[in-house]
Amino acid sequence: MNGLLAADGAGTATPPPADPALRALDPRVILLDRAVGLIATAIVAGATLVVTIIVQAVADDLALWMRVAIEVAWVAFVGLVAWHGYHWPTRTYAHTRYRVDDQGIEIRRGVYWREVVNVPRSRVQHTDVTQGPIDRRFGLGTLVIFTAGTDYARVELHGLEHGDALRIRTYLLPRATPDAV
Amino acid sequence: MPSEQRLHPAAILFDLGRQLRNFALPGVLLLFTSSRGRANEGPIPGVPGWSAWMLLLIIPAMVMSLTRYLSFRLRYDEHELVISQGLFFRSERHVPYARIQNLDAVQNLVHRALQVVEVRIETGGGSEAEASIRVLPMSAFHEMRRRVFAGRAVPAAAGAPAADDGGGAVPAAATGDEAETLLRLSPRDLMLYGFIESRGMVLIGAAYGALWEMGLLEGFWDHVPGAGRYGRSAIGRVQAATFGQAAFPFELLLIALGGLLAILLFVRFASMVWAAIRLHAFTVTRSGDDLRTRFGLFTRVTATIPLHHVQTVTVRDGVLHRWMGRTSVRVETAGSDLQGDEGSDRQWLAPLIASEKVTAFLRHVIPVGDLETLAWEAVHPRAFARAVKPALAGVAVFSGLLVPLLGWWTFATLPVTIGWAVLATKRQVAHLGWYADDEVVAFRSGWLWRRVTVARVTKVQAAAVHASPFDRRAGMASLRVDTAGASAVRRIDIPYLDEAIARPLHARLVAQAAETEFRW
Repeated sequence: MNGLLAADGAGTATPPPADPALRALDPRVILLDRAVGLIATAIVAGATLVVTIIVQAVADDLALWMRVAIEVAWVAFVGLVAWHGYHWPTRTYAHTRYRVDDQGIEIRRGVYWREVVNVPRSRVQHTDVTQGPIDRRFGLGTLVIFTAGTDYARVELHGLEHGDALRIRTYLLPRATPDAV
Repeated sequence: MPSEQRLHPAAILFDLGRQLRNFALPGVLLLFTSSRGRANEGPIPGVPGWSAWMLLLIIPAMVMSLTRYLSFRLRYDEHELVISQGLFFRSERHVPYARIQNLDAVQNLVHRALQVVEVRIETGGGSEAEASIRVLPMSAFHEMRRRVFAGRAVPAAAGAPAADDGGGAVPAAATGDEAETLLRLSPRDLMLYGFIESRGMVLIGAAYGALWEMGLLEGFWDHVPGAGRYGRSAIGRVQAATFGQAAFPFELLLIALGGLLAILLFVRFASMVWAAIRLHAFTVTRSGDDLRTRFGLFTRVTATIPLHHVQTVTVRDGVLHRWMGRTSVRVETAGSDLQGDEGSDRQWLAPLIASEKVTAFLRHVIPVGDLETLAWEAVHPRAFARAVKPALAGVAVFSGLLVPLLGWWTFATLPVTIGWAVLATKRQVAHLGWYADDEVVAFRSGWLWRRVTVARVTKVQAAAVHASPFDRRAGMASLRVDTAGASAVRRIDIPYLDEAIARPLHARLVAQAAETEFRW
């Protein structure tokens, strides 16, 4: 994991927008995704806890060992979800890279199902940089690129430092060319 | 010619008609249901109470139609079409000529009697038409077509490289009105088309649904002779036979098979008639840089597609097509009305065309050679070993479902199902192929139903390489080429490529796309 991090340099240094190096996301995205994972875990845990309570209330002739087993299963399940929420962000982080160069942007991602998407600069219709409330706390943002395509009509890159996202966005914006006329 | 165009006065009628249609079905249902109950008297004698009150709802509709007619203006500026409407909330829509993807005209029987036309203007944005203009006088449509395409043609010819416009082998014709007929389908061709692409089932389904909705089918089965004996009890008898309580009702089987055959024949026949009417006198002409398709006996449709707005072309044929030496050609534009809507007839460039004429026909549309002799590249040699596994898993699931029905006999079906899965996979993988040169990228697939999709490199929006865990273990990847207006059955998504081929091909496509400016 750390080897991968060190390989291309972490995203904290401000990159010049067009630069053939393959870059990693801002490492703070791991913390951010864990925070989101924690919230999701809490919601799932609460919802499933309610379910187990209702089941026990309805089936009131349940043996004690069954009740214990249900609660143990619940704890194991929540533990699994929490573990996944903690580890998954590091894995996705390690497998996400992007490159912005003369041609356009290249995004590589996917832990098991790997994907390399290239959007040529000349095909960018418009771009957005969005920042949610949790993103703002971490100073991160999401770059959204819109094309005229179908499957890739909207390509997102989540977890860039907000300033980086803005710089890439400015770089990718369609240049003033006599489009189509 | 006036530079401001208004709607035809008949627009009020059509608009009203359209709004009334929204009331029609609930209205009819109300009439039916309330006439069965005790009709309470309303303001109009003989018509039950609240159906009559519903007529009041028409008044706002009338006001709206009138407003629309009175306020609508169409203006041709130098580079754009300006449509303004609304009395209180005024809206003015500017549509640059260059952004217009296709210009369609629809005329049904009433339209034709009144010499008017409904015009749809499509631009690249979204899945709906940019503007539907109901209805213009016929002369105004010709005027619009002339102005829209003339207004665009001049700067395009002056500024852009001609190679991008798909002139191909055809000498660059002037944007005059001399049109070259590329294809005309005879009624015989259309019947053949209807026979091959059986749409009859859709028609019958729709008719049955409508009749059932109106309650006309109630008691229908009671009037069919023998329905009680063969209809209601048939399922029970088959069940009894399955569980070994009675002899298998073979005469039922014969009747069922005969009925099925009759229905199938009828469906094909209905489809043939439907095709002959709907696509009557299907003609494709090329005038300058525009393709025009025209068809329809009752509802007449004219679609104009600027050639350089063609995103992808798909040539598709089934077993029947190949037996009869025919194939079909579809074209995708960014402004296609509904994505993935197979039912749309407006994207047909050639519903049916003799296979030997395809190459010459396609040359007008996209710069690609003979699809049969193109230098197709095969996929990875081990693709079959990959593809057959999910097919066999499918067989396993299917057989599992058969077990409760057939018991041990399920094993007897295995040679057939496995054989079929292996054969189908083998043929499918053998037919997978791709081709790429400086101008186009093409992908072919399918076995019984074959298709070839060709996209221009200048129309490629994004390219992606995907590798699943199975792909990675086998050193393979799939390449996806995204264009505007792609759909599940008409996209370029090449599976089972050797990774050592997929990645450079991907890089090459991206570089080619990046070099060229995208022009809608």
